[in-house]
Amino acid sequence: MNPTPNALCFGDGLPAAGAPCHVTVSADGLTMAPVGNSPLVEEAIAFTAMSVEAGGLDHDQLVVSWGAGASVRTLYLKDPALIIAFRRAAPSALMAHVERAAEQVRRARHSHRALWGSAVGVVVGLGLMLWFGSDLIVEWAVARIPVQWEQKLGETVYQDFLSKETVLKDGPAVSAVQEMTQRMTAKIPNNPYTFQVSVVQSPVVNAFALPGGYVVVFTGLMKKAESGEEVAGVLSHELNHVLQRHGMERLVKMMGLAAVVSILVGDQQGLIGLARQLGLELATLKFGREQETEADVTGIRLLADARIAPDGMIRFFERLSEKDKEGVELFSTHPMSAARAGRLKAELAALPKQTSEPFTFEWKSVQDSLSASELKK
Amino acid sequence: MKSEILYPGAFPMVRVYLNEGETVKAESGAMVAASPTIDIESKMEGGFLGALSRKMLSGEKFFFQTLRASRGAGEVLLAPTVPGEIVLLDLDGVNEYMVQKDGFLAGAEGVKIESKMQSLTRGLLGGEGFFILKIGGTGQLILNSFGAIHKIELKPNEEYIVDNSHLVAWTSTTTYNIEKASSGWIASLTSGEGLVCRFRGPGVVYIQSRNPGSFGNWIRQFIPVSE
Repeated sequence: MNPTPNALCFGDGLPAAGAPCHVTVSADGLTMAPVGNSPLVEEAIAFTAMSVEAGGLDHDQLVVSWGAGASVRTLYLKDPALIIAFRRAAPSALMAHVERAAEQVRRARHSHRALWGSAVGVVVGLGLMLWFGSDLIVEWAVARIPVQWEQKLGETVYQDFLSKETVLKDGPAVSAVQEMTQRMTAKIPNNPYTFQVSVVQSPVVNAFALPGGYVVVFTGLMKKAESGEEVAGVLSHELNHVLQRHGMERLVKMMGLAAVVSILVGDQQGLIGLARQLGLELATLKFGREQETEADVTGIRLLADARIAPDGMIRFFERLSEKDKEGVELFSTHPMSAARAGRLKAELAALPKQTSEPFTFEWKSVQDSLSASELKK
Repeated sequence: MKSEILYPGAFPMVRVYLNEGETVKAESGAMVAASPTIDIESKMEGGFLGALSRKMLSGEKFFFQTLRASRGAGEVLLAPTVPGEIVLLDLDGVNEYMVQKDGFLAGAEGVKIESKMQSLTRGLLGGEGFFILKIGGTGQLILNSFGAIHKIELKPNEEYIVDNSHLVAWTSTTTYNIEKASSGWIASLTSGEGLVCRFRGPGVVYIQSRNPGSFGNWIRQFIPVSE
C-alpha cells in the first residue's frame, strides 16, 4: 500500500523541494514512511531525539528536526490534523517547545491582522476626516486657488453654456440687470471679480452664478418678478455665492471625496474623467445649506449697502412658493423653508432702517419688452 | 494528463495529452490549437466570488479556460503571452507553490488555485502586490516566465537574495524577508536594486532571467508618441 503524503522531508541527498512522506504520530514519537520513488527510508524518531519549531512562509507549519551534521533531517508538517495529533502526543518536556511554536504562529497571525487592521483604520480614518473635517480642508484649499484660475474655469463653462442659449444682447431687460449689478458691485469692498451678467431667453424661473463672477439670469425669472427689487434680491444672493467662493468650495469638495474614492480603487482615468465632468455640472451646482444661509445674509446686507429695498427677495420667494412650487426651477436649487424665510426676516430686521433709492427703469416696461422679444421670434 | 515542452527556450509551447474525460485548466487565451475532441469551457475557478476576488485582488484573469477531452482522447497546445521559458512541476498534495500573478499558465484538474493575501510589508514592498497565487493540490502545474527560468535550491536555513521583480514562484516551506539591497537607503536606490527578497530554505525558488517592469521602461522609449 502506498499512503498519501502528508509531510515534506528535507536533508542531504533529498530533493530541494522536499521529499514527500507519510508521517504517523505514536505515543513515543513519530514514524516517517517514504512515498513513491523516494530516497528516504522509513524511520521512527523518538520525541526525546527531536527539536520542534514553527516555520514556513506563514509560520503555520510545524518543523521537526533531528540528527546531526550531514544526516540532519527536517520535516515540515502542514496538515492541521497531524499537527494536533502531534501536540497531544508530545511529552511535556517537548511540549514547551511545541507551545512556543504555536505561540509564534498566533503572534505572527496577530501582528499580521493588527497590521492590516491598522492599515484599514488609517484609510477609514482619512476618509472620515475628509468627510467630516472637509469644510476646514476645503476652505483652506479654496483660499489658495488664485482668482484668475477661478475666472478661467468659470468663463469656459459660461461661454459653453451661452453658446447653446439665446442671449439677449440689449434692450430694457439687459440694461435693467446691468443697472442692478453696477449698483451692487460698486458697494463691494476690495472686489477681485469683474462680474458679467447675461440675460438668457428661457421660461426657466432661475438664475445662477459660476465661479469667477459669471452670472446668468433667465427671462422666466424676470417675468415672474413683480418688481426690479425682487430680481435684484436673487441677483445679490447669486453674487454673494461668487464672492464667498461657494462654487469653488463645492467643486473642491466633490473632487476631494471622489479623489479619495478613485485613489482607493486605483482608478486614475476615472479621476481625470470626473474633473472634466464637474466642469459642466458647475451650472447646476447645488450649494449646501450653510452656503445658502451665508449667501442670503450677505446678500441682504449687500442690497442694503446698495440702497435697494432688501425685502424684494423674501417677497419673491414667499409669493412663488405659495403659488406654483412645481414649475419653478429656483426651488430645486434654493429650497424655501419657513426657517430660511425666518432667518432672512430676522436679518432684515437687524439692519438699520434707511430709505432705499428706486431704479431708473420702470419694471412694467421691462417685462413688456421681454414679451415683445418673444413674440418677434 | 501528460505534458511536454515543445521548442524549449524563448518561444516554447506546451503539448498536453488528455485521456477521454480529463481536463486541463489554463490561463484564458493560452490555447493555441487542440484536437477536435477537446471542448473549451470557460470556468470560474472557486465559483463566481473566488474568480472575482482573484481578478480584483491579484490581477489574474477573471476566467480560466477549462479544456475537456469530452469526445475521446486528444491533445492541446498551450502558449503564454510573453516570450520566456516554461517549467513543469508535479504537485503531490503536500508541496505548495506561491506564484506571482502572471506566472500561472496551466494546471491539471486536481490543482487548486487560490489568491492569498501577503503580509503588509511584503505586499507593499515586495513588488508582487498584496495578493499572490497559492497553488497546491495534485497533478501537473505549468508555470511561465519572462526570459529563462532558473531554479534555486535551498537547504534548511540556507539563504539567497533575489531582486523581487525576478520572482516567479517559491515553495511554501521557504520564508522570505524584504530588505534594502545595500546597507544605506541611498546606496540601495542608486544601485538600481532598491529592495530585494532574502529567501531562507528549505525549498525551491524559481526566478526569471528578465524583469518585465524594466523591459517595459526600456521599450517605452522606442514607442512613438501619438498627438
